[in-house]
Amino acid sequence: MQLTDFLTLLLLLAGAGFFLAGTVGLLRFPDVYTRLHALTKADNVGLGLVVAGLVLQAESWAAMGKLLLIWLLVLLASASVAHLVARTALQKGIRPWKR
Amino acid sequence: MTSVKIKICWSSIISRLGLFALIWWILTDGAAPSWWIGVPAVLLAVITSAALIPPVSLVWYEFLRFVPFFLVRSLTGGVDVAWRAFHPGMAIAPDLITYPLRLPPGLPRVFMANTVSLLPGTLSVELGSNFLQVHVLDARKEFLPELEKVEQGVARIFGASLKDSKGGECNAAI
Repeated sequence: MQLTDFLTLLLLLAGAGFFLAGTVGLLRFPDVYTRLHALTKADNVGLGLVVAGLVLQAESWAAMGKLLLIWLLVLLASASVAHLVARTALQKGIRPWKR
Repeated sequence: MTSVKIKICWSSIISRLGLFALIWWILTDGAAPSWWIGVPAVLLAVITSAALIPPVSLVWYEFLRFVPFFLVRSLTGGVDVAWRAFHPGMAIAPDLITYPLRLPPGLPRVFMANTVSLLPGTLSVELGSNFLQVHVLDARKEFLPELEKVEQGVARIFGASLKDSKGGECNAAI
């Protein structure tokens, strides 16, 4: 196994770990706002690591660019959607959970 | 009826042309025959974007300086929230805080709101006329220095002053 293959494996596994953390947060956190924290941040890092792992295997510059483009698009979409969901929840009068 | 004054900003048109052509090249793996469709598509995209988004002046050097900061902080954000999710006692103490915004309205504020949502422990909830309401995951931590740092970074990217906001000139615009 080559070094790049090994790095890809490492990055993909780390990415999967963050996706798992995002899902655990979604299930365990108490309200919509805290769940959004888990989803946006953990999943973005997870996808970023998966993309980084796949970029190492890309066969052309265009393929590499396509992977980065996917990550940027998801980054933008998840940040905007998280903001919209949180804003709507607050406007509907859902109070944030407090300890 | 108010007449809309349209000022064509050529540097903005040229940057967008380059950007959309690059995206088309990426999407099609650079296949030469695809440009028969690609050229009209890119032109339409430039016209549509010019109609929808006025020219934005970006300071590229500052943007490039912001990228490593953002990558490191968003990675920290992922690690932070993952740790809290797995923590047996769920180490969270959420609260809503209001941050007074000094950025000029429009794209800089949206850029800041989206960035804040990806940084450790903060989530943009409401973007008001002169404030940003932020949901924080752990109110025991200090958030203001980080938010101020982000705001200053965003202001530098858009070449905006935090004291008096005025519209930028059309140079190095996208």
